[in-house]
Amino acid sequence: NSVGEGCTDLKREYDQCFNRWFAEKFLKGDRSGDPCTEFFKKYQTCVQKAIKEKDIPIEGLEFMGPSKEKADS
Amino acid sequence: MKIWTSEHVFNHPWETVTKAAMQKYPNPMNPSVFGVDVLDRNVDQQGRLHSKRLLSTEWGLPSLVRSIIGNARTCTYIQEHSVVDPKEKTFELQSTNITFTNMVSVDERLIYRPHPEDPEKTMLTQEAIISVKGVSLSSYLEGLMASTISTNAGKGREAMEWVIRRLNTEIEEFAITARGTIRTPMAAAVAEK
Repeated sequence: NSVGEGCTDLKREYDQCFNRWFAEKFLKGDRSGDPCTEFFKKYQTCVQKAIKEKDIPIEGLEFMGPSKEKADS
Repeated sequence: MKIWTSEHVFNHPWETVTKAAMQKYPNPMNPSVFGVDVLDRNVDQQGRLHSKRLLSTEWGLPSLVRSIIGNARTCTYIQEHSVVDPKEKTFELQSTNITFTNMVSVDERLIYRPHPEDPEKTMLTQEAIISVKGVSLSSYLEGLMASTISTNAGKGREAMEWVIRRLNTEIEEFAITARGTIRTPMAAAVAEK
C-alpha cells in the first residue's frame, strides 16, 4: 500500500510493471530502457503530494519538483 | 550505542532472493510495515539499479493511546536506499528512521550475495546500529531494541521465504494457464483437418 491512500492503485500499476521488467530484463543483463516511466510519473505526482501533506521529512527531495528550477537560476 | 549483526543463508539462488526482497512488503510476518513507496529510481553508469524508498510503519499502539496521541504521531517513517548490481550479484540496502530522530536512531544495512561456497544459495549479512539519545538507561533500551531487531530479523527471513513461495506459485499457475491455452488452438487445428 501507499503512504498516500489515494495512490495505492497507481502504485500497484507501477509495481507490476517494474517487477516484470526487473525479473525478466534487468536481472538477466538486458540493458534496454525502463518501460515504466509513464506509470512512475503518475504515481510520483500522487505520492509527492501525500508526503507534503503528511509533512514527512524526506531527505534529498528538494532535488525534485519546482525547487529544481530555483537551483538552476 | 549498540551494534547488532547477523548472517543467514537462504536455500535459493540470488536472483530469486533479490526478486523477493524487492517485493517483501506487505507480508504477514511484518504487519507493522503498512506502506512502501518508491521515491526515486535510476540505473547508474555501471548498470546498477538505485532505488530510494519510503517505508511507513505503525507500531500497533493500543487504540486508547492512539486516541490520545493522535494517529499521525504513531507512524514511524523509514527511508531506504538500495543498490542492485546484476553483474556482481549484490543487493545492498541501507535504511534509517526519519521520524523520532531526536529520540532514537536505527540504521540498518543488509547485503544479499550468492553464497561463496554454493551458487544455488544466497547469503544475507545484516547489521543494525542503534542509538537512544538523551535518556538514562539508554544502553538498556538499546539492548531491548537490539533483541526486538533480532526477533524481527527472524520474521523478516520467514517473510522472505513466504514471498519466494508466493512468487513460485504464481509462476506455476501462469505455466499451467499457458499450457492450457496452447493446447486448445492445436486441438482446434487437428479437428479442422
